[in-house]
Amino acid sequence: MLDSLPPESRHAVLDLGPPLACNIKILSGLSCRVRIADLHRSLSAESLESRQPEAMGALLERLLPLAPDERFDALLAWDVLDYLRPDQVSSLMARLAPACRPGALALVMVSTRRQIPARPARYRIVDRETLSCDDPLAPARTCPQYTQLDLARMMPGFSVRRSFLLRNGIQEYLLAHDAEAGAARVQGARAASGVASERTWFRRGRR
Amino acid sequence: MWNKREDESVRPPTTTPQAAQASGAVAARREAHAGIGPAISIVGDITGDEDLTILGKVKGKIDLPRHDVTVGESGKVDADVHAKVVSVAGEVRGNLFAAEQILIRRTATMLGNLTAPRVGLEDGCCFRGSVEMETPEKGRAASVQPARAPAATLPIKPSGGSLQAAGSPGSGMPAKPEVPPVRP
Repeated sequence: MLDSLPPESRHAVLDLGPPLACNIKILSGLSCRVRIADLHRSLSAESLESRQPEAMGALLERLLPLAPDERFDALLAWDVLDYLRPDQVSSLMARLAPACRPGALALVMVSTRRQIPARPARYRIVDRETLSCDDPLAPARTCPQYTQLDLARMMPGFSVRRSFLLRNGIQEYLLAHDAEAGAARVQGARAASGVASERTWFRRGRR
Repeated sequence: MWNKREDESVRPPTTTPQAAQASGAVAARREAHAGIGPAISIVGDITGDEDLTILGKVKGKIDLPRHDVTVGESGKVDADVHAKVVSVAGEVRGNLFAAEQILIRRTATMLGNLTAPRVGLEDGCCFRGSVEMETPEKGRAASVQPARAPAATLPIKPSGGSLQAAGSPGSGMPAKPEVPPVRP
C-alpha cells in the first residue's frame, strides 16, 4: 500500500482508526494528507437508537462529513470492521466508495478467531515493512469472522488484491477500488437516465 | 533608642533599583499574556498581539498569528484558530492553523483540521479531522513528536506485507519469511 503512495505526488489517506502520532508522521512523510476518523470511538459514543440500521446513513454523514470534492487514495480500516455489524459495514462503504479514487487501496484486517478484544487494536506503522500493535486485551466479544465473500458483498466495487494470514489469526486484506466496475456502474446509471456516456480516463492515484 | 525603632517602623522599606526593575519586568510579562477565565464566554473575533490562554468559552474566530494560543482543560472553543503555537487540552471545534506547532493533549477533544509544520498528538486524545504538514522539501522542518511514549507493543510482521506489498513487481523486495524482529 505504501508503495502505491509515492512521495512525489500528493495523496489523501483516510484512517478509520484512532489518532496515532507515529502513523501521521510516516504518512505525512509520504506527502499524504491524513484524515483521522476514529470510527469505533465515535460510534461508541452514540446512542443505540442512532446506530440502528435505518439510521446509519444519517449517522455516518454526521460522524464522517465529506466535502463534495474530497477524494481518497488509500483507506486504512485496520480491524475496525470487526467491530461493525454487516449493515454498518455496508453503510460505511456505501458512503466511502464514491469518495475513493479509482485504484484506491484499502487495508482491512479481520480476525479468524471466535473472540476478539472489547475494542480495536492500535496499529502503529513502524516502517514500510513493520506494523506493531498494543498488547492485545483479553477476548471479550464475539468475532464476526468475516470471510472474503462477506467483504466482497459488503464492499462492492472493491476487489481483493492480496491476502495474508498473520500468526495472531488476523487475516489481512489489501483491496483495490475497481475502476472498471465503478465505471460500468456509472455508465449503466447514465444510460438508464438517458445521459450520454463519457469516455473515462483512469490513472492510478489521480482522477 | 526607642525613638529610633519607631522611626524604623514608620519608615517604608527600601527597594533597590534593580529589584524595582525586575518586578516591573515580571509585571510586564504577566500583562503580555492574556487569559479568558473559566466563567467567561466570548462570541466574536479575537485578535491581538500577545499570548492567549482560554479556560472559558469562545465562539467565533481567533487570530493571533505571532503568538501562542492555549486551550485549557476547561476551555471550549468553537472557532478557527490562527496562531504561532496552538496547544489544546480542552474542547475545540474548528480548524487550527499554526506557523510552528500544534499540540493535542491527552485530555483534548479536537474536531477539525490541523495545519502546521509540526503536529503532536498524545495517546488517548480524541481527534477527528485531517492533518496537513509541510514536507522538509519545502524548507521547513516537519516532525511529529508524540508527547508520550507508545504503550508496550508486540511487533507484527505480516507474512507477505500488505503495507509493503513485498513480492510485487514494483517493490523490488522479495517476500520475506516471517521472522520475529529483534527488540533491543
